[in-house]
Amino acid sequence: MGRRTVTRAEAEDFLYREALLLDEWRLDEWLTLFEEGGRMEVTTTDWNGWDSSSAGAFMCDDYGLLKARVKRLKSRKAHAENPHSRTHRMISNVIILEQGDETAWVAANFIIHRYRDNQEFTYVGRYEHVLLVDDEGLRFRLRRSIPTMETMAPGARLSFIL
Amino acid sequence: MTQLTHTDPGGTPNRSLVHEDWDALTFKVHRSAYRSPAVFQKEMSRIWGHTWLYLGHETEIPNPGDFKSRTLGGRPLIFCRDSSGKVQVFFNACTHRGTILCRHSEGNTKFFQCFYHAWAFSNSGELAALPGDEAYADVPGFKERHRLRSVPRVDSHEGFVFISFDPRVPDLLTHLGEAAHYMSLTAKIGPQGMQTVPGVQLYSVKGNWKLAVENAMDGYHFAPTHNTFVGYLRETGFAVTDDDQYAYDLGDGHGLLILTGHNGRIGMVWEPRFGEAEKERTAAKRQEMEERLGKELATEVADASRILFVFPNLLLFDLEALTIRQIEPVEAGRTDVRAWQFVETGEPDEVRALRIKTMVSFVGPGGLATPDDIEAYEAVQRGIEATAGSADPAYDWSDMSRGMANEKQGNQGRSIDEGAMRSFWRQWSRRVEGAPALDTALDTALDTAPGA
Repeated sequence: MGRRTVTRAEAEDFLYREALLLDEWRLDEWLTLFEEGGRMEVTTTDWNGWDSSSAGAFMCDDYGLLKARVKRLKSRKAHAENPHSRTHRMISNVIILEQGDETAWVAANFIIHRYRDNQEFTYVGRYEHVLLVDDEGLRFRLRRSIPTMETMAPGARLSFIL
Repeated sequence: MTQLTHTDPGGTPNRSLVHEDWDALTFKVHRSAYRSPAVFQKEMSRIWGHTWLYLGHETEIPNPGDFKSRTLGGRPLIFCRDSSGKVQVFFNACTHRGTILCRHSEGNTKFFQCFYHAWAFSNSGELAALPGDEAYADVPGFKERHRLRSVPRVDSHEGFVFISFDPRVPDLLTHLGEAAHYMSLTAKIGPQGMQTVPGVQLYSVKGNWKLAVENAMDGYHFAPTHNTFVGYLRETGFAVTDDDQYAYDLGDGHGLLILTGHNGRIGMVWEPRFGEAEKERTAAKRQEMEERLGKELATEVADASRILFVFPNLLLFDLEALTIRQIEPVEAGRTDVRAWQFVETGEPDEVRALRIKTMVSFVGPGGLATPDDIEAYEAVQRGIEATAGSADPAYDWSDMSRGMANEKQGNQGRSIDEGAMRSFWRQWSRRVEGAPALDTALDTALDTAPGA
């Protein structure tokens, strides 16, 4: 696999498409955005750059857990998401932070509005993803969400994909 | 059952919100107990004002000068280790005008300096300096009178630090009673001790704090509420059962579920999702525990999972791994929650990683199970509006009578019955509805405090 340059436009397309799949709850398609063995993390609000294997987190899924999470969220018995929340994701400030031989380190800001039970919740944060770059496009090696909020607001649980 | 008008049984002191009838084998809780701001205010005064409250763990502040700022019972506090190494707990308010003294959530400092008029307090509470002190009469006396206010009582058990806003509560160990033993069991898991790690889950639920307690002491909900989590475990090769799961009333509102064969326990009871390497390590660790603790104690520590509730605000989940959860009521329909991963000091990196991944996947607002618990508290909080003031007052009660016939026969209550919840509610009723144990100026202050 030869090195090729990832443009910001390519990273934006990837992130926008991901947001579309999540907002439409197309979770099987969403899972294909990960490489086999990819991981997902959501850090706690006191995160200070530490490794998720040495500190607590909100989510810390290896590939097996990621598949289990998708299966769960598709079930009618995932009560916290039955009915599904309506989500509306805005992604901006996309930057290619660094590019290596195989991967690109991409950062972006997000605002996610979630609506359920006649209530609204806003989640604000930043993505710092490690993306595998190959001729077919981009895939998540590590998908990391870093909430900016000081705490999860009342009712703002993480029953969906942040 | 006494017929009650819907208006507010809580406002009429002789009418309890908890109805227990051992002839009819019914146990009911009036739903205003979850809804009413007046009940909430009474709880803050009668419970939070007069009993030991879990504040934090000593390992959160390992070094001299370390501090955390934390609100407990609605009161902003500073939890710190002073320069001599002693744990101190101060009200986080400058003694001058009441300004929040420490506006950082955590850090390390020798002095807390108020930004407003630059009064500086040492981390053991002395008023060390104030600008222009020559304008005060008797400077040494003035400084002594304005030292930082400590909470009246601070004590710890196995590193768990508790405080009381009432100086006359019984000793901490008296308060903990039988619960102390189960905290000690958990503390014995690691040969080098146990500690918290950074990465604290801070979240908030739109539900009354008592719903969070009930949920943790309620094994009945596990199979239906956590259907998807049970399914996930089955796929990893582990069948969860509700057999051999028991509930214990530890007195004074403390409760315990002991869950045998409910789940694996990292380092102690292997299950397939922990991986092959962990299987060998588990055998070695059990050996180490038997040598260190003796066979009997090692078995008690290791074999069963436990969920311990220490009245009124600490839940200790000793399951696949460990989580300390603190509940902080904010208003009748809102509860802040803080949760720490509790780990073995000095364990190998790969075990630490497995522990955190496994625990976070179950317990916590982003796990595969806790979001459904939160859905339950919040759905109850919304649902109990339906029967408030209904034409038939009998509609406005929640039922907790499951297993009473079994309990009446003197059998050990099962976790899938509601006995642990009943013990909690009895203590709640004694505290909130009984005669105030200690009728003091503090009560009056708490009862009349704006926003209390």
